[in-house]
Amino acid sequence: MEDYIVKVNDMTVVYHKKPVLWDVDLKIPPGLLMAIVGPNGAGKSTLIKAMLGLVKPTTGKTTFWGDSYEKQRKKIGYVPQRGSVDWDFPTDVLDVVTMGTYGELGWIKRPGKRERDLAIKAIEKVDMLSFMDRQISQLSGGQQQRVFLARALVQDADIYFMDEPFQGVDAKTERAIISLLEELKNRGKTVVVVHHDLQTVPEYFDWVVLLNRVIIETGPIDKVFTEENLKRTYRSSHENLYRKRDVM
Amino acid sequence: MLAEIFSDYTLRIVSIGSILLGIISGTLGTYAVLRKQSLIGDMVSHAALPGIGLSFLIIGSKNTEWLLLGAFIAAWIATIIVNTIYRNSRIKYDSALGMILAVFFGFGLVLLSYIQKIPNANQAGLENFLFGQASTLLERDIILMAIIAVFTIISVILFWKEFKLLSFDSDFADIIGFSTDKLDLILTTLIVIAVVVGLQSVGVVLMSAMLIAPAVASRQWTDKLSIMIILSSTFGALSGVIGTIISSSIPKMPTGPIIVMVVTIIAFISMLFAPKRGLIWRRIKDYYNKKELGANMVLNNLYSLYKNHGEDFHPHDLDTICLHHTGIIHSKRMLKRELHKLEILGLAKEYENGNWAITQKGLDKMESIFFEDGRDIV
Amino acid sequence: MVKKLSIMIITILMLSILLIGCDSNRQSTQEIDNDKLNIVATTTIIGDTVRKIGGDKINLQVLMGPGIDPHLYKASAGDVNKMQKADLLIYNGLHLEGKMGDIFEQLQKTNKNTYAVADVIDPNNLIESEEFAGSYDPHIWFDVQLWMEVVEGIKDTLINIDPGNKDYYSENTLRYLKELEDLNNYIKSRTDELPEAKRVLITAHDAFSYFGKAYGFQVKGLQGLSTATEAGTADVRDLADFIATREIPAIFIESSVPSKNMEALKKAVESRNFSVEIGGELFSDSLGTPGTEEGTYIGTVKHNINTIVDGLLQ
Repeated sequence: MEDYIVKVNDMTVVYHKKPVLWDVDLKIPPGLLMAIVGPNGAGKSTLIKAMLGLVKPTTGKTTFWGDSYEKQRKKIGYVPQRGSVDWDFPTDVLDVVTMGTYGELGWIKRPGKRERDLAIKAIEKVDMLSFMDRQISQLSGGQQQRVFLARALVQDADIYFMDEPFQGVDAKTERAIISLLEELKNRGKTVVVVHHDLQTVPEYFDWVVLLNRVIIETGPIDKVFTEENLKRTYRSSHENLYRKRDVM
Repeated sequence: MLAEIFSDYTLRIVSIGSILLGIISGTLGTYAVLRKQSLIGDMVSHAALPGIGLSFLIIGSKNTEWLLLGAFIAAWIATIIVNTIYRNSRIKYDSALGMILAVFFGFGLVLLSYIQKIPNANQAGLENFLFGQASTLLERDIILMAIIAVFTIISVILFWKEFKLLSFDSDFADIIGFSTDKLDLILTTLIVIAVVVGLQSVGVVLMSAMLIAPAVASRQWTDKLSIMIILSSTFGALSGVIGTIISSSIPKMPTGPIIVMVVTIIAFISMLFAPKRGLIWRRIKDYYNKKELGANMVLNNLYSLYKNHGEDFHPHDLDTICLHHTGIIHSKRMLKRELHKLEILGLAKEYENGNWAITQKGLDKMESIFFEDGRDIV
Repeated sequence: MVKKLSIMIITILMLSILLIGCDSNRQSTQEIDNDKLNIVATTTIIGDTVRKIGGDKINLQVLMGPGIDPHLYKASAGDVNKMQKADLLIYNGLHLEGKMGDIFEQLQKTNKNTYAVADVIDPNNLIESEEFAGSYDPHIWFDVQLWMEVVEGIKDTLINIDPGNKDYYSENTLRYLKELEDLNNYIKSRTDELPEAKRVLITAHDAFSYFGKAYGFQVKGLQGLSTATEAGTADVRDLADFIATREIPAIFIESSVPSKNMEALKKAVESRNFSVEIGGELFSDSLGTPGTEEGTYIGTVKHNINTIVDGLLQ
């Protein structure tokens, strides 16, 4: 458990002169399901995006297995928020999932039979086989989420980052997704999830990060997910920033 | 008239030029529209104006190649500036586009009016770039357009998956290692080239329509990107030909504006009449849905009453059935009519006293409606 | 780096707009001379003629330079300033200065002295526009005899406003009219060198109808009366047919209209298996370079007729 695969050091992200993340240190151990929780505006999405290079941090460095993100790209999977994309785009489920293979293909090469088979396998995993040729605009919220999931699964990464994968999803889909994540964990993968529903955190996850612009606490659920800590997390972020300064 | 396209030299040249323009702008416009950057064409075409003026002032020649080069450089610089503003300030993309459009175009107009004062500069004709003058296209213009068309098509084929990914989910593209900056640059540069090429035919003011209209039209007819691109180019080319034919049959009729009118009409027809997405089609479908829903609502009521009574086929009178849900049924007469329709289908049954209840067949139908479309509606 | 460059470029653009705008304002206030009659003329043609009559008793400013298209010319703030400060504005009229009509109206409303040279001509002698009844072709200056009437009209106007110099103006006019008479004869003699069948003049726009009417040429222009109208493909086609059928050896470009139009026409004719030459450049809506022979009305007209006849004699 002491062997951390992802290390974030001193990450600060400033957006229009306001710190969205401040001096964040994070170490992610392998082979577990980890939740990032916090109130709205806590910087949860930003944290993931900054780690993956989608957002440029003001300071801070992230290493994956000791290396930069660019070098370890192939081992990292990403499931963005459902709302980050226009679902009226002219494409079908199979097409979107196949996009997960593009990284492996590199520039210009076209996806062939091998890629198609990989995609179909992933679609099967999320139980969307009968929707393979469906236009993505005709999917329900839960189905869209599953498509994004399949796209990430195609990469067969070692660590997955998911941004609010359970948002707006019905109970049946939620159960399906969680069992998928469990399967990933059993195969030794790590999954980091930005999660909004505090009720289900202890049930679904092993490890939790309490974030409100600064790291309040991180660690195993039984140790860290306490009422005291939650109170501290969901207090006004202002106070948390001041707290941090006191400590320093 | 159609045969003249082939026999008459001028018509031939103008048609080919318009077709090439249609293909180029239809293809690239698809990506612009899908990426929600429709107005980029407008900005680019307006920003090109000072480039034309400056090129004339510096080089002193009215040679088309130099003017177009100047247009290209000016437009390209403008896009860089827009991106810079967007990335480094709070200003929204639209606003940045609008701002740069205004500044550059304004500067262009100032230059033109300054140029018109210079004696003997032989500057007549620079203003033609505002609205285009398609009838004076020469062979060497067409060759240039053909080269660019080929270049565009090759780029689109080569970077097919990259452009698709960029347009759909640029964050994901970045994550898996495709530099969206580079891709965006390629696409934007192609668009700038396309606009500059189109300036001679349709002019600065109308060029943005050529980028937007064919793409909007084609989206209504298909859900596949590949078909959309092909359809978009086809619509663009078609407008070019039709516009040329129409304007050539009437003396003193400018070609550029007619082409734009044709492509816009195509877009409107598509938005109204295309199956699935067209407005008229949807109206008709809504109408039938409502009718069906009318019957369904009554059935729904009967079903709820059935459930409320502990799953019992107890008949109820019309008032009860009417009151249970407000909705489409306004009058008892309509209600009776719907009930009779249901009876014919075997879904409801009339009892003595004019009371009605759902039948087993009706129950089955209700259950099947709930699980329609593979969606969990419950 | 890109950021800094961008900011620099935008600033430069905005500054230049300001500078160019201000600059034209500064110039205009220098030109008023209180001892002489201050006249503003619109086109170079009118300017040259007014100078010949007014001599050094007038202070003349001409708004448009050579090679500038009067149909499209938009007056700047500086121009309006000049017009307002002048004692007299002389323009062509008949909507030649297509984009300045409002300004002329404004000046007339505020009781400024304005004079349209075309007013002196009897409407029966004007050519009516084919498309717009009640509108006339404004290109009156290529019929030298009509222009001689214009000269008289200008002289009378000058005398009206400045009666003290009446004799001076009248003398200049008499002398100039003699020159114009010679010019008219010159044109007629050169025209005689051409067989009648060859007297066809094809130009970029319909600027030469009066010339044609006066000296017996059939005249066709690609664009219409105003260069603001775009030549459609039908026009190119019809004109190309005409040229090829009549076997006209030369077509002519104009100094104030883009030559590309004629090039396209030439190519269209060639596709009909007839070779037509660009016979030369004519001055249509403007005079030639100042300081040269063509910088004067007489020089321009001479240049034109020579170019036309030499071109068609092939």
